[in-house]
Amino acid sequence: MTELSDQNDTFPLGAPDGDFAQDLHLWKLPRGRHGLPRELVEQSQRERLLAAVIRVTAAKGYQASSVADILNKAGVGRETFYQHFKNKEKCFMAANDALIADLEVRAAEAYAQPGSWPERVRHGLAETLRWFAENSQVARVMMIETGTVGTAAGDYFHRTFRRFTALLDEGQDNPTLPNLASIAAGGIFARVYEEVTLGNGAKLPSMLPQLTFELLLPYLGEEGAAAERDAAMSEQAAGEPTAERTPSISN
Amino acid sequence: MTLEPKSLREGGGILTPSIPWDIAMRNQRERILLALAENCAEKTFVGTTIADIVGTASVSRATFYKHFANKTICFRAAADDFLAELQHTVKEARANADSSESDRIRSVAAALLDQLAAKPDWTKLLLVELPSVDPEIVPRYRRLIIDALERELDVAASSDSAVADPEIAFGRFKVLLTGYVAAGEVERLPALLPELVYIALLPYMGQDSALEQAQLTI
Repeated sequence: MTELSDQNDTFPLGAPDGDFAQDLHLWKLPRGRHGLPRELVEQSQRERLLAAVIRVTAAKGYQASSVADILNKAGVGRETFYQHFKNKEKCFMAANDALIADLEVRAAEAYAQPGSWPERVRHGLAETLRWFAENSQVARVMMIETGTVGTAAGDYFHRTFRRFTALLDEGQDNPTLPNLASIAAGGIFARVYEEVTLGNGAKLPSMLPQLTFELLLPYLGEEGAAAERDAAMSEQAAGEPTAERTPSISN
Repeated sequence: MTLEPKSLREGGGILTPSIPWDIAMRNQRERILLALAENCAEKTFVGTTIADIVGTASVSRATFYKHFANKTICFRAAADDFLAELQHTVKEARANADSSESDRIRSVAAALLDQLAAKPDWTKLLLVELPSVDPEIVPRYRRLIIDALERELDVAASSDSAVADPEIAFGRFKVLLTGYVAAGEVERLPALLPELVYIALLPYMGQDSALEQAQLTI
């Protein structure tokens, strides 16, 4: 409807898993004549709505949640909601887009660093796994609930997956199979999806060496993929940050 | 299911008693499962109500509950039935194939893709709906398929050649298919035969041999 709903969001990452229950009203701007630019006000409303739809969905499921739940959680009026989004589905999918955009930016940044192509793939994958570990609770809700949104969500999955495999295609100098990038990335995607939906997202970074091997295998063959697996292992051993943090006992 | 035959005849039409009760029951059950698959394909599992299912199946709500305690149990039965059907397809393709191991794999893969393409609603149920309805089922059916593949390849005898993870291979296969199914291109699945053969053999034969086998199907 309005141009407001077509903007590119970056997800308000002030809300990682630890702050999942944080009260969104704390994000609200001051009331009354604050003289803040209209743009800032709209952005704040929108961020709160995106964060709210995720929280409401986590609590009630997508189907059972209503526009009223979302706007109450976000602390905006009904009219404001409809200025930003045509309906609940558009709001939910915008939150999904914002999350995926955040993941894409981080993965693409790591992938763009100088280095050989296999090395860059490994670093992009490492960042992807870290992102899922950090956002496992949000990602779990979105992955499970997207399946319940409707038939349009299936097409959405397809397009998102294609964007990720397109990143890999530049490494394809072995044009033996037409779906090589899907074959390479599919196994990794399925494993990430499964671990996150089963609630095991935190352990993904520790799987980097094996997943690096599997991602590169269709391109490089066993030897080349094993070399990158070993590189991932030695980087991990050298104390690259992973999600394997031991919880502190002393609280 | 411990139903008395008479419970089906209650209120039945004049022809009902001539249908053996177990056939009548099976017929109802199949109609319900078919109705579930059709409705889910159109409006997802969550968007499908019991009223939709009984409406499409032309059975009463009471009949639905005679067979299934709730929608999720009905869904599981549908997934299990379709998996059993796929297993049957595999068995038949195996029996009709040549004796060489790689020829059997190729025939089975081709039959499997044909069967999936022939039943788009069921394929969608299994690939698109199942992971959100029942994430725990996925590892179970993955195990089933990997075990069957390993029996076929007699991997115990040659396990030193295992270079990659068969569970990852299963994921490759699943996501590749899901992409096509989600895009509404189920009828194109049979064209994925080379990829499927490659994916299935990669963990056991290594990249070169798997590619060689894949190219034989083109």
